[in-house]
Amino acid sequence: MDMEEEYDPAYNEDEGEDITQEDAWTVISAYFDEKGLVRQQLDSFDEFIQNTMQEIVDESADIEIRPESQHNPGHQNDFAETIYKIKFGQIFLSKPMMTESDGETATLFPKAARLRNLTYSAPLYADVSKRVIKKGHDGEEVTETQDFNKVFIGKVPIMLRSSYCTLYQNNEKDLTELGECPYDQGGYFIINGSEKVLIAQEKMSTNHVYVFKKRQPNKYAYVGEVRSMAESQNRPPSTMFVRMLSRTSAKGGSSGQYIRATLPYIRTEIPIIIVFRALGFVADKDILEHICYDFADTQMMELLRPSLEEAFVIQNQQVALDYIGKRGATVGVTREKRIKYAKEILQKEMLPHVGVGEYCETKKAYYFGYIIHRLLLCAIGRRAEDDRDHYGNKRMDLAGPLLGGLFRMLFRKLTRDVRGYVQKCVDNGKDVNLQFAIKAKTITSGLKYSLATGNWGQANAAGTRAGVSQVLNRLTYASTLSHLRRLNSPIGREGKLAKPRQLHNSQWGMMCPAETPEGQACGLVKNLALMVYVTVGSAAYPILEFLEEWGTENFEEISPAVITQATKIFVNGCWVGIHRDPDMLVRTLRRLRRRVDVNTEVGVVRDIRLKELRIYTDYGRCSRPLFIVEKQRLLIRRKDIEALQQKESPEDGGWHDLVAKGFIEYIDTEEEETTMISMTINDLRSARENPEEAYSDTYTHCEIHPSLILGVCASIIPFPDHNQSPRNTYQSAMGKQAMGIYVTNFQFRMDTLAYVLYYPQKPLVTTRAMEHLHFRQLPAGINAIVAIACYSGYNQEDSVIMNQSSIDRGFFRSLFFRSYRDEEKKMGTLVKEDFGRPDRANTMGMRHGSYDKLDDDGLAPPGTRCSGEDVIIGKTTPIAQDDAGQGQAASRYTRRDHSTSLRHSETGMVDQVLLTTNADGLRFVKVRVRSVRIPQIGDKFSSRHGQKGTVGMTYTQEDMPWTVEVAAHMGKEGDATPFTDVTVDNISKALHKCGYQMRGFETMYNGHTGRRLTAMIFLGPTYYQRLKHMVDDKIHSRGRGPVQILTRQPAEGRSRDGGLRFGEMERDCMIAHGAAHFLKERLFDQSDAYRVHVCEKCGLVAIANLKKNSFECRSCKNKTDIVQVHIPYACKLLFQELMSMAIAPRMLTKDVKLAKDLKKRGA
Amino acid sequence: MDGIASYQRFPTVKIRELKDDYAKFELRNTDASIANALRRVMISEVPTVAIDLVEIEINSTVLNDEFLAHRLGLVPLTSERAMSMRFSRDCDACDGDGQCEFCSVEFHLRAKCIGDQTLDVTSKDLYSSDHTVVPVDFSDASGYENSEQRGIIIVKLRRGQELKLRAIARKGIGKDHAKWSPAATVTFMYEPAIHINQEMMESLTLDEKQSFVDSSPTKVFEIDDETHQVKIVDSEAYAYDEEVLKKAEAMGKPGLVEIYAKEDSFIFTVESTGAVKASQLVLNAIDILKQKLDAVRLSEDTVEADDQFGELGAHMRGG
Repeated sequence: MDMEEEYDPAYNEDEGEDITQEDAWTVISAYFDEKGLVRQQLDSFDEFIQNTMQEIVDESADIEIRPESQHNPGHQNDFAETIYKIKFGQIFLSKPMMTESDGETATLFPKAARLRNLTYSAPLYADVSKRVIKKGHDGEEVTETQDFNKVFIGKVPIMLRSSYCTLYQNNEKDLTELGECPYDQGGYFIINGSEKVLIAQEKMSTNHVYVFKKRQPNKYAYVGEVRSMAESQNRPPSTMFVRMLSRTSAKGGSSGQYIRATLPYIRTEIPIIIVFRALGFVADKDILEHICYDFADTQMMELLRPSLEEAFVIQNQQVALDYIGKRGATVGVTREKRIKYAKEILQKEMLPHVGVGEYCETKKAYYFGYIIHRLLLCAIGRRAEDDRDHYGNKRMDLAGPLLGGLFRMLFRKLTRDVRGYVQKCVDNGKDVNLQFAIKAKTITSGLKYSLATGNWGQANAAGTRAGVSQVLNRLTYASTLSHLRRLNSPIGREGKLAKPRQLHNSQWGMMCPAETPEGQACGLVKNLALMVYVTVGSAAYPILEFLEEWGTENFEEISPAVITQATKIFVNGCWVGIHRDPDMLVRTLRRLRRRVDVNTEVGVVRDIRLKELRIYTDYGRCSRPLFIVEKQRLLIRRKDIEALQQKESPEDGGWHDLVAKGFIEYIDTEEEETTMISMTINDLRSARENPEEAYSDTYTHCEIHPSLILGVCASIIPFPDHNQSPRNTYQSAMGKQAMGIYVTNFQFRMDTLAYVLYYPQKPLVTTRAMEHLHFRQLPAGINAIVAIACYSGYNQEDSVIMNQSSIDRGFFRSLFFRSYRDEEKKMGTLVKEDFGRPDRANTMGMRHGSYDKLDDDGLAPPGTRCSGEDVIIGKTTPIAQDDAGQGQAASRYTRRDHSTSLRHSETGMVDQVLLTTNADGLRFVKVRVRSVRIPQIGDKFSSRHGQKGTVGMTYTQEDMPWTVEVAAHMGKEGDATPFTDVTVDNISKALHKCGYQMRGFETMYNGHTGRRLTAMIFLGPTYYQRLKHMVDDKIHSRGRGPVQILTRQPAEGRSRDGGLRFGEMERDCMIAHGAAHFLKERLFDQSDAYRVHVCEKCGLVAIANLKKNSFECRSCKNKTDIVQVHIPYACKLLFQELMSMAIAPRMLTKDVKLAKDLKKRGA
Repeated sequence: MDGIASYQRFPTVKIRELKDDYAKFELRNTDASIANALRRVMISEVPTVAIDLVEIEINSTVLNDEFLAHRLGLVPLTSERAMSMRFSRDCDACDGDGQCEFCSVEFHLRAKCIGDQTLDVTSKDLYSSDHTVVPVDFSDASGYENSEQRGIIIVKLRRGQELKLRAIARKGIGKDHAKWSPAATVTFMYEPAIHINQEMMESLTLDEKQSFVDSSPTKVFEIDDETHQVKIVDSEAYAYDEEVLKKAEAMGKPGLVEIYAKEDSFIFTVESTGAVKASQLVLNAIDILKQKLDAVRLSEDTVEADDQFGELGAHMRGG
């Protein structure tokens, strides 16, 4: 340190020492300690609960009901009119609760919800006020107000670990006491006992002007588009297109570059000048001022000439409005109505985000002019077209906004139902009972339906998105985490357009570049990078106020001519005014943001070329934290890191403090384009020490660490920067299939399927990010000694040889759990199913498996070894005696068997049995069966580099190749974080020092013969994963077996003991071979061979009684000319189906000519 | 003999180091097939006793029954008696159900955690019915402070958890399951013969010599402090990595050293699990090897010698 003081001239006493890349990890730790790994989900949901829900309730107008005049003779009303007004006020949300069927209500914990198949939801209450305004005949008014406090309006599913969850801010010990895994991050819901994640949905951002060049030949040369959506409005965005025609497409030759716009509900395109005139800007000069601001810009003016000429005939507002009105939906109405209609459309439907109130024309005209301005800039070639795939133009709908949309819809439905009910009451002259009017079920089951099925929107309604809610993947801890950070682009999977699937530059640091599925969804399903924060949205109001205060001029104050000299200010895509000193404004804004006086998630984008300042406060933007750099130097200093390391309680200091002190700020994708980010802290130092060779002398930010561009699954890969890129993608997919310990409370859970590794090990080679993914605590693999060699040939083509002795000692042993569930369903009011041991004497339809494993209660007790189709849950249904009465022996049956038996290909021990009641108070049982899976030939394994393989052979220890010495290593973990200074040479040197060959080669001896292997073998410990694909779950063969009832063809699939399909391609091969008899055997004899008797006269199927040896075709009165034909059963079925459609498929067994003769004779 | 060279060799063994669980010896005047046969037999055919059957009465621990049974199976048991025991499958006394004194040993384990402290259930909690077959004691003879509770941990108990079981140990061999293998590691190496061409070596500078010496990952060569000559310190440390040969090549001095493996002398390293002493392991292996060879001879001329070689005959058939 002293040395540095002497030698570094730039060193300054109060600035303190610089931080190192290592120190950056302290900052990263602070981030993960505070935020965890599913912050986006939790923040988004909290925003929904704390703000959005109340806003939705507030935005709905009062329900006002006036009685319809009823014909009620002989009844004289006391009042001329009675008006009912119902208003929803403050809402209240309780903690998650559960009401048992006996009416007892208690707090619900996630564990109970999971085990008992309940929904983890909290009741929602609202203050409702009812006002009855009675107007007397004499005009006087009487108002009665009645307040109902905390009326139950529905149950809202609660996201685990969100601020309304019972587990919120519980410490590790409490969590364990509650049967929860302390490493579980929450961020999902529990619906009917199953864990559901809401997958973030990507969409294009609204209120943004895009200009695209059209690929010629096309009618249009350029298109500008805005998808405008007003804030807090649940309407689909209203899109406006402004298009410039191609030169060639116009009839009149070269002068045809008209610019036209589409307006909502207007059938044809309207010339832009007419739109301006309809808005009240009539003079050419006025209009041009709104478009190109600067009359000296002849190039632009020239492009507007054709448009002006086109609209020459329409020279005042009324005519222009009429012109628009004529092209609207209304036909055959008066001119006045048309004008009114057109005015309405301009005010309410066109560009609603600018404003839908009155007197918005100026603003709208400016905005409309701005769209055209942008279009022209592109047409002139001053600006390139916009990029649809730029991530700054994308927004993400997370749990909050998704639930918000659903809640808004359901709340409206609720209010609509209330209105309907009250209206009915009022009309019938009954008393209005609000408790009955508010149907809590609307919201409760509406939310539950969408979360349970993933169909976002109302049941059986069009325009719903499927797959929004998915069952949380619990295979491995990493797969769970990755699932909680997944992102989906709802673009047609079939679309061959490659661009949206490609990795875009702007996705740097936001999306993991490796983790995406292969095939159909490649590039459409993405995963968030580790440090991404998705904005939840904040009010634009404080920003607008700030702008006002700091000298932003709005449109009323300015003349269009000054626009060229000033900077246009946009807030959330809406042009609010101009400012003449943008430098100062941006500096102030950023300073305030860094001081947290302005919300940290606000995006400030200064586009110098366009002279624009765009400020964003909306939700769904991707942003990430970066170190702030000033004068080529990080603002964060060594002493701040030390303070961070020394902090005692999580309360003081920490991440939020770093943000509040202005060391770090969140930069969203669009703002990122205006920054200069240095990749490493070292880059910054060398830029400072060596300015001539520096890449930039204007760094504004610095990456916290470049390895944070990766997502959850890719962060587990050691040295990903030394891999071929698809390998990282493969591993990202495979890591999700690895067995390990998926949660620490797996013993208390009853997952339908679970895999747990016997002796998981933390990897010897780790990455820094793993620490925060808890990969060391919940590992998914074993450090195996792996040699790359040829040995006996049983490891060819992606297979491995495994040491049987190691397997004996527990190497990669794992547990497999499968849970079976059943409940006593109620059938009608009295009849109920019963768990119990079925009695052969009175039970119908018993399974062929063994019932011996069942106890008296009808359940197999824990510790029972069962296999094959043994029954593990016995259940019977009573059958009504009159049903069973038919037949003579049937009467002895009083019950029907509905037992559950073990899957026929599995064996195991009953591990745990859970018997409780579900939400309806019905008895409900879950039985977990456990089996040990020992690695065997055919099981699948992989390293962490996309290198998968199956076991090809197991050799006992003495048969395996061996080395002379097994030596100890350095006793520490290897760091394999990408983008660090660890090189191949470093590692080679370390190996050499430990007495190993530099490149990891070792001399080996053949285990069978004892001879030395000629080649040296690359050998070393490698972290291997056991993947869930195991032969025992796949092995399948069949000789004879079950057939489908309809077609009598063999059933399909292993679970049904089905046949193996002899498909088209296999058929083609046999044809090519000329193996006709074999083909017939496969496709006919071994499949659905059938024989029918055919009347030779009509060619239709005849009646045959083989026992009596009598044959008859009734319609032909033919008992003699009948032949037997062998056809597939499916063919016979087809014939009968055709016959049901009045088509007679005739099987002619004789010469065709003869048949024709027959026909003739018949005729 | 009488001028006619005899190809008969008389293998010799020279013991270098001998501890209870470790042995290092030279085997000379034989070839790789014999050496490897010995190695393989030591690993997989010398019998030991290991727990093979577990009856669990109470198990409220975090590990399930199969898990515990597997762990118990892997606990090494002192097996000096194993050679004279019967395989339970051909035990006449109990008809193979493995419950008699000739072929099996019974163990009991009973543990319950009452306190708040985690209780470790270790191999020391296994009570044997036969004092000759007990879990191997790993506590260091040199005896540091922690002499008590140093057995192999089977499971850890939390307050209220209990484990009660009966286990039967039987004789078996490593080929059937690794738990019956008495050997931890058994390896041998071909003794290397290293010749330094001192003449050529002297043409090198001291730095070059140093870099030549350093090029070997293991410490095989050394520079004499006084003579500055390169000399061999430990030829057996050489791991046939050929690094020095490559180095010589790279220095433009091929033939600087010559290394070859002697085909007829081997250096064995034997580490035992503790079930059998390392020395006994080697002897047992030789015995078994002998019996196997006898069986081969027998099969030629004897018809019904099964009784005589009971165990071995079965061995030849089954294993």
